[in-house]
This record gives sequence, structure tokens and C-alpha cells, in this order.
Amino acid sequence: MELIALYGLNLVYTIAVLALVVLGLAVVFGLLGVMNMAHGEFIMLGAYSALIIQQAGLPYILALPMAVLVCGTVGFLVEYAVIRHLYRRPFDTLLATWGLAILIRKAVEGAFGRDYKSIEQRLPGTVSVLGVDYPAYRLALLVVIVALFAGLLIWYRRSNTGARIKAMVQNPALASAVGIDTAFLSRATFIFGVSVAGLAGVLLAPLVRVEPYMGLDYLLSSFFILVVGGLGSLEGLLVGSTVIGGTDVVVSAISDKTAGYLSILIISILFLWLRPNGLYAKR
Amino acid sequence: MRSVSGLALIGLLAVPFIWDSFTAYQLGLYILYGMVGQGIALCWGRAGFLPLGQALFFGIGAYLAGSVLRSEPGWLLIVVAFAVACLVPALLAWIIGALVFNRQTGSGPYFSLITLALAMLGFQLANSMEWLTGGFNGMTGIGGLPGIDTYETLYFVIVGVFACTSIALAHVLRSPFGQLLSAVRENEDRLQFFGFNTGLLKAFAFAVSAAIAGLAGALYAPHQGIVTPQAVGFLLSAELVIWTAVGGRASLAGPVIGAVLIGFLAAGLRDDFRYWEVVVALVFIIVVLRLPLGIAGFLSQMLRMIGITVDRPRKPERTNELPPNSSEAAPDLRFVDVYAAAGPVKILNGLDIAIKHRGIHCIIGPNGAGKTSTLNAMTGKLPIVGGSIHWQGRDVSDIRPYLAASLGIGRKFQVPSVFTGLTIRQNIDIALWANRLSLSDQFSMEPYRWKTALLDRLETRFPFLRDDDQLAGALSVGQRQMLDFAMTFVTEPDLVLLDEPCAGLSTAETRQMIEAIAALNTETRSTSIIIEHDMDVVEQLSDHVIVMHNGTLLANGTLQEVRDNPDVKKVYAGGTK
Repeated sequence: MELIALYGLNLVYTIAVLALVVLGLAVVFGLLGVMNMAHGEFIMLGAYSALIIQQAGLPYILALPMAVLVCGTVGFLVEYAVIRHLYRRPFDTLLATWGLAILIRKAVEGAFGRDYKSIEQRLPGTVSVLGVDYPAYRLALLVVIVALFAGLLIWYRRSNTGARIKAMVQNPALASAVGIDTAFLSRATFIFGVSVAGLAGVLLAPLVRVEPYMGLDYLLSSFFILVVGGLGSLEGLLVGSTVIGGTDVVVSAISDKTAGYLSILIISILFLWLRPNGLYAKR
Repeated sequence: MRSVSGLALIGLLAVPFIWDSFTAYQLGLYILYGMVGQGIALCWGRAGFLPLGQALFFGIGAYLAGSVLRSEPGWLLIVVAFAVACLVPALLAWIIGALVFNRQTGSGPYFSLITLALAMLGFQLANSMEWLTGGFNGMTGIGGLPGIDTYETLYFVIVGVFACTSIALAHVLRSPFGQLLSAVRENEDRLQFFGFNTGLLKAFAFAVSAAIAGLAGALYAPHQGIVTPQAVGFLLSAELVIWTAVGGRASLAGPVIGAVLIGFLAAGLRDDFRYWEVVVALVFIIVVLRLPLGIAGFLSQMLRMIGITVDRPRKPERTNELPPNSSEAAPDLRFVDVYAAAGPVKILNGLDIAIKHRGIHCIIGPNGAGKTSTLNAMTGKLPIVGGSIHWQGRDVSDIRPYLAASLGIGRKFQVPSVFTGLTIRQNIDIALWANRLSLSDQFSMEPYRWKTALLDRLETRFPFLRDDDQLAGALSVGQRQMLDFAMTFVTEPDLVLLDEPCAGLSTAETRQMIEAIAALNTETRSTSIIIEHDMDVVEQLSDHVIVMHNGTLLANGTLQEVRDNPDVKKVYAGGTK
């Protein structure tokens, strides 16, 4: 019984973390059509922001605004210098952001070195849930993620800005004709997406290895989730996270990590073959 | 062009004598990387899809050759091992390509990310399968090729293999297959309506690139004497794409120039300058934004500015006349109670149509009646949710576009859809090859000589079609309509679907187009279905009129019968029936 509860908690936790990781890419790729190959690198920048805060001896909570500052600034510069010219040219954005990913990786490697960094846990200890002692930080993270998604969902459905974004996604020409500043809105959406990635980096930093190449795994799992779930809806994002996270956890438990990775890769290829628009296609 | 390549080869062979054998040894490695880059250029520069995990195939080739070379084998076994090192990656690439490209047209990012993920997987497997690959420390103790000194003569073997693959690739690029890949890049959807399974074309190109990568990897094993998981990883994959992009993806020389140039620069600078790779990444971004054809493209532009042009090889004269392609059977097209929907909107709503006579059938009806959707449904562009569609006794209800074309259904879209980056001659070639090109023809130069009596007549009717070297993208909208129209008829389809063929044409052009439709329909004894709003056009062309309204058949018969129909009068007078 306790074992099942533990597996259940682990599964929920894995899915929630994946949903958090994919959110930034889902915004940028799903809404703007920009396949941001540097998505994982923005998560990495978030984690290094936490490292900077830790090294400076400041309260850990400041890592969150720090990550938004770092990723937002980089995101703004990138949007201004590169992405702005490439909307509706998905292939070129793929290449340019991929170059950007390499650039960020190598710059961080040059500045911080290639070795693993560790970020201290701020919520040590465990909490008893369903008869299982579960790490407190993981539980707190779970709560934060659920709150974040709920808030975002309500805001996107109710707010004016959400409606404007939907209009821009549906028909950019018409949207700008009725007075929506699509250039500004696209930029804001892009910056929002990469900042969310940065926040994910801060939240995950204490739990994972922090190093310049950490982003690639996040990019690929985010991509797999979007392939399975489809673009443009939160439901798809959650279903995709469940399928990918669930498969990974189950197969990795039975066999090993490589088998888990292989199985989600095969699932993604099968989806591209049989259901190229994913389970919840809105476009 | 040939003399330039010859000079380059002589230059490569002279390197060990001009510099030293160590420089040649290093150069050998960069040439191997350049070969992989040539494969990437075939996929990306030519066919328009980007493989991001090419090191996977390079590494598989290297491990395969390495495992054989460890046991000091004879030449026969080595040749077999090298062949396997080409075939295994090719097969793997073909399967991946066939799966991923099956339902995805266009060059979206999905394929690129899947290949990247595969390279990641390869890296993990190479690390974990110690019994096979030697794990993290790599496969060591790989011997050289018998009788060939790794640091002296292996370089000449590499240059020899490189010359052979370059010649083979140059032929592939010139052949009809290469031209079809250009058409995939330009307009994959249109190519499917000429009966080509573009997914398989792309998968094959990907397989060729993987075979070359495997061969280069097989040479890498004796060159280095060790193969580590780095040889399959994504880092090498990334560098390969950067070299290809910076050197130039549109030519065969570009990737090699990129690999050699950046290779030597990196060897000199990497250790002293910590941010060297940041600079390379920056150069790559600039190339993507401002210089899509890379150094090679830049050089040829410079040469053109000072007046040196590399002549395009002249296409052979059309000397081989093919017999007509149309069938004698009377047409038999039936829509039985067909339903189609997009979300909550019903597009086709129990449509019944039967066409059993040759001649020109016009579909008319108000906007939103489902006219274009009717054509989409029978060519696999719109999935139907109820009923069935039959053509010549075959159920075509959920047929794929390329199969519809191979059953003799030709289609011209409302917006002229031609291969804008190709010349008029190339556009017509592709139409001429539709349903005629066999697999072996794809790699022969013979199809460039093909012509048909119908093509001659079309060229007489539209003289601008003889302007071989003009780019289709440089034509006016009216001329593009006519080129598209001519291409549709050149395939000699039994059933021609024309969606508003006169849209966007001037009065004079409209008259010319009407004449052409009438004349060609008679000459080719085909059956045409035309969507038209202009009643003058309908009056002049139609043998039979089909009136659609709200996704169903409202009336059909001769134009006079339809005009007298009270239901039709109601709809056209503004009623909703």
C-alpha cells in the first residue's frame, strides 16, 4: 500500500515537473509558432541565476526575480535582434534559436566552467502524506505548480490580454488591423515564455545537476510532450505530460533510464506517423 | 564547373607535398566531416528538411568498421564491413524518414528534433553498452587498413573516396531525382498532385545522406584508431550542421569548405581562446539571418560581380517523343451521400454527384456551397466522415493526394501553384514526368529528353513556355496561371479538376484560357470539372452544369435546364430555400 502511494506520488510529481518544464515552450511554440531550440538553455539560465544568488549569500527567494530578470533581458534582446525577423518562418527560427542555444551554452561554460554545480535545498526534511514520508521540497513544488497552472488558466480565459493573444494567434493581420499591437504582443509573449522557463529552472535547480548542458534533456522532453499532446491547449499539455512522464517513470522502474528514454522516443515517432497533430490539436 | 573540380582535386592531392603529412592527416579528418556535411546539404539545401543528428550515422559507421578492424582482417572482410557501414545507417534513416514524413508535408521542426533525439539516444547507448562499444572510454585498438600507413597514405584513400562520393552526389543532384527534391523544397503539396510520394522521396534522400555519413565514419575508425561515444553524440551533430551552414548548404563544395576552414581555425584557437565556440555560434546565427547560402554562396556572388559566371549545364534537347498517356475508358465518378465537416461546421452535407460522360462539367453555387471542398474530398485534401466517393470503380474516399494523381486525377488550384524557385523548363519537366517516371528513370538523364505532342501544342499556344531558363517566380500572375494550367494538362489526366482557372486574369487572358480549356479538353478526350463564378465562362464551356448549395446538390443538367429550375432561381435571388 505504501509502495503504491509512493509510486503514485512520484508519478504525480514527475508529471507536474514536466508540465512546468514544457509550459514555456508551449507558450512560445504553441502561440507564436517559434520552435525555440534554446528553451532548455533558458531553464539552464534560471538554474544559474539561483546559483548566483546562492553564491552571493542572498535569500533564495530572490532567485525568482533574478531568473525573470536574466531570462527576460536575454529574451528581449533575442526577440529584438533575431526572432522578430523570423515570425512565420518556422524553419529559420529553428536554426537561429539553435545557434542561440549553442551560444548560451558555450558562454555559460566559458564563465562558470563545465563542472556540476549544486544548489542547496531550502526545505529539507520530509512530510508524511498517505502514510509515506515524502520530501518537503517536492511537495511544496507540487503546490506551486498547481497554483501556477490554475492562475494562468483563469487569467488566460478571463483577461483582455488573453483574448488579444488568441486573436493574434488566429489571424495576425486582422488582429493588427483592429488595433492590437501584435509586434508588442508577440514580444511580450516570447519574453513571458522564456521567463517561465527561467522560473522552472530556479524551482528545479536544487533537485537536479546544474551544468551548461542540462538544457538539452528539457528541450527534448518538452518537445515529446508537445508532439503527443498537440499545440495550443493546456489540456493537451497536461495529457502529453501524463503520457510521456508516465511512460518514462514506469519503463525506467522496470528496466533502466535508457529504456525509458527509448520508449518515449518511440512513442513520439509513432505519434508523428499516425497522429501528427497530437491528441488535442487546436490548429 | 568540371575544370574547377579537377583543379580542387589536384590541389588536395598536392597538400602532403606542399605542407607536411601531419597537415594532410588533419585535413583528412576535416574532409571526412565535410563528406557528412555534403549529405546534410543534400537533405537541407536541396530537399529543405534538416537532419540534426547526423553524427548518429557517422558513429554507427565508425563503430561497425572499428569492430571489424580490431581483428586485423583481410581486404574482402574490410570491403564487406564498409558496405555494411553504409547500408545499416541508410536502412535506419530510411525507416525513420518513411515513418516521420508519412503524413507530414513541409519542413517543420518535428523531423529535426526527432533526429536530434536519436543522436542523444545513440550517445546513451554507446555509453551504456560497454561490451559492444567499450563504453565511455571508447573502442580502442582499432588497426589501420592493411598496407596503408595511417599518417602517410590513408590521406590519399580518403581523398579518393571523397572524390568518388562527390561525383556520385553531383550526379544525383543533376538527375531527375535531384530535381524532384528541389520541387519538394519549393512546393511539396503541389508535387504530390503530380503523383509523387514525397515522403518516400525525402526518406530516400535521408538514406543517401546516412549512407555517406556511415562511409565517412567507417574511414574515421582507422584514421583515429579509437571511437568514443562523442562520435555519435549531439555535439558533433551540431558542429556538422554549423560547418554545413557556414560553408554553404546549397553546393557540394560548401560543407567541405566549412568543415576544413572552421576545423583548422578551431585547432589553432580553441585552446587559447575560451569563448571561441561562442564566436562560432554567433557566426552561425548571422549566416542563418543574413547569408543563407554561406561562404560558397558568397564567393559565387563575388565572382558574378566581377563578371565570372559559372555556366549552368545546358539541358539536353527534347528529342524523345513519348506516346499519349490517356486511357480510353469512359469516366465514372460517383459521390454517394458524402459528408465532411470542419469542427462544428458541416461542409458537405449528403452530396450526390454522378459524372459518366466526357466533356466539361461546371460546378457553380454561392460562396460556401462546398465547391472547392468537393474537389478536396476526391483528392485526399479533405477527409470525409460519411458516404463514399468512387472513381473508375475504385473507392477513393480516403485516398492520399499522390495516389489520386496516379489514378489519373489532375488538379489545378485556385491560386496558381508552381515551383517558383525553379525554371519554366524544370517545372514542365516535373509535370511531364508525372505518372511516367520509373525508379530507374529517376537516376538517368534520359527523362530530360522527353517530350509529347501535347507539350508541343501547349508551347505553341503559350509561347512563353519555351523561355526555358526563366524562373517561374518571375512570371506575372496571369502567366503563372497559364503555366500551372499547362502543367496540369501535360500530365494528360483522365479527369481534370480546375478551380476558377480564370481568376485574376485580364479579359484577353480569360478569352485565351477559355479557348485553351475547350481545345485541350477535346484534344486529350478528357473529362474536366471546373469551378466557376463567371457565368459567361460557364455558358461558353459547359456541357453539363452542377449547382451546389449548402454542401448538397441543388440541381444539375444543361445550363438552360438549370436556369429554369425554380430552386436555383430562389437561391440565386437571395432566398435560402
